[in-house]
Amino acid sequence: MNAITIEGIEKSYGKTVQALKGITLNIPQGEFFGLLGPNGAGKTTLISAIVGLVKPNAGEIRVMGCDIRKNPTEAKKYIGLSPQDININNYMPIGKIMEFQGGFYGVSVKESRRRAEELLKYFKLWDKRKAGRYQLSGGMQRRLMIARALMGKPKILILDEPTAGIDVELRHELWTFLKQLKEKGITILLTTHYIEEAERLCEKIGIIHQGKIIACESPLKLIEQHRLHEKAERSGAFQFVRSGSLEEVFVALTGRPIEEASKKSGEEKWEALPASLL
Amino acid sequence: MGSTTRLAALVQMEFFRFWRLLRQTIVPPVLNTLLFILIFGFSLGSRIKEIHGFPFIVYIIPGLTAMGVMNNAFSNTSTSLHMAKFDRSLDNLLAAPLKPFEMVLALVTGGIARGLLIAILTLAVALPLLKQPLFSFWLTLYFVVMQSVFFGCWGIIGALRAKTWDNLATTQTFVITPLAYLAGVFYSVTILPPPWREISLFNPLFYMVDGTRYGVLGVHDAPLWISAGMITGLAILLFAVCVWLFQIGYKMVR
Ligand SMILES: Nc1ncnc2c1ncn2[C@@H]1O[C@H](COP(=O)(O)OP(=O)(O)O)[C@@H](O)[C@H]1O
Ligand SMILES: [Mg+2]
Repeated sequence: MNAITIEGIEKSYGKTVQALKGITLNIPQGEFFGLLGPNGAGKTTLISAIVGLVKPNAGEIRVMGCDIRKNPTEAKKYIGLSPQDININNYMPIGKIMEFQGGFYGVSVKESRRRAEELLKYFKLWDKRKAGRYQLSGGMQRRLMIARALMGKPKILILDEPTAGIDVELRHELWTFLKQLKEKGITILLTTHYIEEAERLCEKIGIIHQGKIIACESPLKLIEQHRLHEKAERSGAFQFVRSGSLEEVFVALTGRPIEEASKKSGEEKWEALPASLL
Repeated sequence: MGSTTRLAALVQMEFFRFWRLLRQTIVPPVLNTLLFILIFGFSLGSRIKEIHGFPFIVYIIPGLTAMGVMNNAFSNTSTSLHMAKFDRSLDNLLAAPLKPFEMVLALVTGGIARGLLIAILTLAVALPLLKQPLFSFWLTLYFVVMQSVFFGCWGIIGALRAKTWDNLATTQTFVITPLAYLAGVFYSVTILPPPWREISLFNPLFYMVDGTRYGVLGVHDAPLWISAGMITGLAILLFAVCVWLFQIGYKMVR
């Protein structure tokens, strides 16, 4: 059985913005899948549709075989979500946030306490368990959201740009952690606009651009296929990017480097936050 | 089993918020009631003759209690939900395997708890004036709980529709408070001249005030079964509407 099955998902916001233009995607259980695309490509919209926060205009999504629209409670049980936008309760200490999160997923109080302690310690937030959201740095809030996503013992972990706005060191730590989770058999769906992140972590990468999946392969295959393609065209136009890299594949497929494509929407400001903020 | 755990977590979260804000949420309404009693009861009340055999100051106690319950149940659910919308923690709840019924029930439970607490405190403060026990504890309890459900649900709907805090304050100031005053908090609708008395019967809050007065004092303007039926029906109806709104993701799902 697939962990996530997506069939022909379309989504428009209002009349003008067509965020998703027919996305079909299968993520088998245990896979580490990366959704790579610039800002505005439709990654968050797709993730939100998977957990039922966005209602698609067409198409179907199944999580471990459960239709998210017909059987939402069942489908959501399998998922832990760390969204792109911080959505941490403003008035509750984070220890409580973690415990209640376990409860929302049917984990007993005792077990929730134990898990909360374990996860908070792992994510170096245990000392802050009595603190509220506004006493946490941006990086800590990001870590908290990932820890919180794990409270419900998810079979599928969905991370929407988890490393946006956190420093390099932490990013690498997180990568190691995610690899360990994958070893434990958890299916991971990660969105990113960092090519390096997708390349290092993911077994399979779906490149999403303007609401469409324009390629979906393992990183190696993507690069290989592209090389052949490039040879056939005998094009020297992409010399400025690393040769034989995903970067190159991205440029070839979309016509420009991912950083440039991302910057257009101005969200990049977040990225430039000084590391001192941590 | 999972359902109990989920519901327990949701309800605890509601109570947590409510206890944390206790001073802000409990003291003002009780103080308000005390002021009303002082102003209308002691200073002006002596000029007003008895209503249904009770001194004016005693007659207004159930109405004031009901008004406190209404406002507080509304505040509790609307503030909770509006805050969750504001800090986006609502998205976190919506992505979790929580049923619409569970989410609404948890919010409403918070509203009932706050309504009950206000009712108990108000009555505790005012009962010495009454010089007699409650006419019916169970009837009073029933009306207070049902009002809390009704206004708790109204608060949920209000918060879902509201874009700003002002929208919620507007509802309280321009809709709930006037309707409560016109529902006969300070008078018996039987003393109203013809068109107004009939118009009052269309005000659902009239039945809540009247029912509460029946529970506390044993006097009423409308038959008990009509008041009880009205408030029960309306509470169930609004509760169902709330569950439905959560089901379709009204203003929650993009
Ligand atoms: N709530 C919304 N209302 C209107 N347009 C939206 C909304 N959310 C996203 N969009 C638009 O949909 C497109 C896809 O956005 P998004 O899914 O956030 O992309 P990504 O996560 O890849 O950056 C963008 O053009 C964005 O502006
Ligand atoms: Mg996004």
